[in-house]
Amino acid sequence: MTNNLRTRIRQSIEDQTLQTALDNNAERRLNGRAAAFQSIPDWRERRQRAHAIRADVIEHLDEYLAQFIAKNEGNGVIVHRAKDSAEAINIILDISKSLPLRTLSTQRGKDKTLVPLSPVFRGRDLRGEKVLIAKSKSMVSEEIELNHALEKEGIRVVETDLGEYIVQMRHERPSHIITPAAHLKKEQVAELFHEKLGIPYTTDIPTLTATARKVLREVFLTADIGFSGVNFGVAESGTTCIVTNEGNGRMVTTIPPVHIALMGMERLVPNLEDLSLMLSLLPRSATGQKLTVYTQLLNKPLPDQTRHLIILDNGRTRLKNSPLKESLYCIRCGACLNACPVFRELSGHAYIGKDKSIAPYPGPIGSVISPGLLGENFVHLAQASSLCGACKDVCPVDIDLPKLLTRVRAGESPAVDDRQLTTDGAGLTWTTRFGLQMYTRIATHPKLFAASQKFAALTMTLFSPRSQWIRLPAFTGWGYSKDFPRFAGKTFRQRMENGELGVGNRGIENRDSETFQSSNSPTSKPSHLEQFSQELTALGGHVTLTKNPTQSIIEFLNMRGIKKIMLEPNTLDESLLREANIEFTNTPDDQTPVGATNAICGLADTGSVLEADGALHASLLPEIHIAVLKSSDILPSLPDAMKFVKDKNAAVFITGPSRTADIEMTLTIGVHGPKEIHVFVVE
Amino acid sequence: MTQVQLFVTCLVDSFFPKTGQAIVDIFSHLGISVDFAREQTCCGQPQFNAGLRKDARAIAEHTIKVFENTTGDIVTPSGSCAHMFRHNYLELFEGDSLWHPRAKSLAARTFEFTEYLVDKLGVTDLGATWDGVLTYHPSCHTLRGINVDRQPRALLANVRGATLVDLPHAEECCGFGGIMSVEHPELSAEWLKRKISNLEASQSPTLVVTDAGCLMHIAGGLNRQKKQQRVIHIAEVLRNV
Ligand code: SF4
Repeated sequence: MTNNLRTRIRQSIEDQTLQTALDNNAERRLNGRAAAFQSIPDWRERRQRAHAIRADVIEHLDEYLAQFIAKNEGNGVIVHRAKDSAEAINIILDISKSLPLRTLSTQRGKDKTLVPLSPVFRGRDLRGEKVLIAKSKSMVSEEIELNHALEKEGIRVVETDLGEYIVQMRHERPSHIITPAAHLKKEQVAELFHEKLGIPYTTDIPTLTATARKVLREVFLTADIGFSGVNFGVAESGTTCIVTNEGNGRMVTTIPPVHIALMGMERLVPNLEDLSLMLSLLPRSATGQKLTVYTQLLNKPLPDQTRHLIILDNGRTRLKNSPLKESLYCIRCGACLNACPVFRELSGHAYIGKDKSIAPYPGPIGSVISPGLLGENFVHLAQASSLCGACKDVCPVDIDLPKLLTRVRAGESPAVDDRQLTTDGAGLTWTTRFGLQMYTRIATHPKLFAASQKFAALTMTLFSPRSQWIRLPAFTGWGYSKDFPRFAGKTFRQRMENGELGVGNRGIENRDSETFQSSNSPTSKPSHLEQFSQELTALGGHVTLTKNPTQSIIEFLNMRGIKKIMLEPNTLDESLLREANIEFTNTPDDQTPVGATNAICGLADTGSVLEADGALHASLLPEIHIAVLKSSDILPSLPDAMKFVKDKNAAVFITGPSRTADIEMTLTIGVHGPKEIHVFVVE
Repeated sequence: MTQVQLFVTCLVDSFFPKTGQAIVDIFSHLGISVDFAREQTCCGQPQFNAGLRKDARAIAEHTIKVFENTTGDIVTPSGSCAHMFRHNYLELFEGDSLWHPRAKSLAARTFEFTEYLVDKLGVTDLGATWDGVLTYHPSCHTLRGINVDRQPRALLANVRGATLVDLPHAEECCGFGGIMSVEHPELSAEWLKRKISNLEASQSPTLVVTDAGCLMHIAGGLNRQKKQQRVIHIAEVLRNV
């Protein structure tokens, strides 16, 4: 078993393309993370608070779940519980089979205006083709191998996260939980798009991204079901929080008539305030962002929309009652993968089970929860670590991953079935086990210990009379890349016993120990407006100060030669628009280039705007999003804005234009959501 | 006269007795007597890290018994063995009403060598001298396991004549990882390669460490690659007057 893994490790190490890609990923992510944490100097306390919150949730999981479910049912969400992957898959199949057949005339209400309908769409309906599921990224769906199961039943599933889309077309599994195509070079993506999507070969990442946007837009508009994972569930309000940068998460939860959200049962926080804390840590750890571009908070289904929430156990209860409980605190940020020197050599594809299947969760957390959730097949992964602690160091909820890894090694992962080996030394090769057990005998008998030292020193001198070092053969493991030191002729204890440790004469000077205090001098604080403007501009957004927003927006539209906009009611002075010959509509469509909305508030420290309900389509479908924001509505930070979220069906914090870094970690603007965001701040 | 217990570690005992000697010298000059409990062997870290808890417990019990018969703080020239005493022993005996309290009192007495000098004795200048360039590799368990970093750096900063340079990507593991270097030699080899090329990039001929495990690993790699750089335990630098 370890040999399969070792073979796979060797293959990864020898793959130069992969190694370059992985080095790139690690370096950019770690630097990004470090920079992002500088903006929250109190991150240590936040991390401890986050740990405490997650510990409390897991401790009282049943109560929090009951509260969360009751709230959701009250909110009109259909809640299902699945004890394992088979149950979850069946629930999804049942939902797919009982869909009302969509025809042009029975599309959900106003969606008839999602026209002009593409030929693909018409054809599909007339021929009564397969059910189509547009899927946003979800690690839990990887865990239950959902796509495979659905496809077997004749359902078409399309991954819509750019990275996921790429690996799906390559029939691969994601190699990283945040950046699924982290293992690929742009040339490989170019080749793939050329072959599968029929575009001319190009390595230009914006062109590749634009192609995906176009192809996947069709999918969003014609999908029967939108499917997503869940980043957090809020027990107190029943809110479901989903974060994406590209905007696909918004598409799948907003456009199709049915939304299915699949969540691991542990993904809860008690209330919205705790959620804000988590949201200050998750994106910083995952992608080095202060806030993810789209932070969605879903309370109730939208009008004409059905929402299903599936809460999955699949081994989590077992894990909760095991010594690996702390692994359930994980918020799946992926930081421990980026920091891990093992992951950096391997990528997610090399974490394989005894049966050679790829573990659903890679990296340090994966080597704990893959065996923890799925059992013995993955136990040996925990041995592939030097326990260097880089993972614990970056974990935003301070999970003691090295400790958990040693627990897996000690055979403490929960038994999934009778075949489980719960011996200690789980995953160890028998030679190492035997050697260590011999050593235990020696180390518990001091006389034997001293005698062995002498014996070893003698033998090694025979082998290597001249050098301090011995060249062991590669199969010993040690000899693979380094030499072994010869035992000292006289050990420390012998010298001590012979009284040989003499004392020389030296004077010792004693100075005060140095103090290491940070010298962060307080600088004058910028106003909320200034800060908002700086942050949004840094993300590629635009901020315009104005006294008359309608007038300024008309000027902007004229400059761009735009004649038609999608408009949230009561946002602009409509008579002025008419005078200026700007056509406006309130119904969502896919063709209008600009959507204008009212922002409920802005956030100074992240450059975000809050949009909800009536503004959801106009801030999502068009290529340009214009938001009108009163300068007095700019609040310091996310926690200050949570109060506005409670009474909405659905809300989203928008932080800059839609973006991705899924191809070679190259930041590319404009994926599924708007490519431009312009905020007109009214003084 | 203050007395400390030296837990010299199996690696220093067997392979690098000069490091132990340096520590005895330094303490003598500080007017501190060093006691060496002869029954000590190994802390049991290899077994613990491999997941062989029964074996690790046997060694831990032995070690606890040995030091229970002694007085004074326990000082060890290894961050990872200090981590073993302070954290892993508690993990090993969790819920054990007999051994957990005993492990706890051992943990409370245990210090890594540089930590003891700086935090307990308030010493940052030992009057040591060094001719040439030095660079420091923070061992994983020293840096992240017991959060000791400023102490060795402060001590090195006061070594006369030494030019301290940064080791690029210093905080990366050297690939020893105890039993991992045998179980997964391919991984270990890659990190070792990277550590050595970072050492070369630093242009320092000498790498200073606080753990004999890293010393043995990196020095073994340098020897295999026929490189000129050497690795030295911090105690031997500080002893050099
Ligand atoms: S274990 Fe910690 S660092 Fe790793 S993914 Fe989970 S939350 Fe992030």
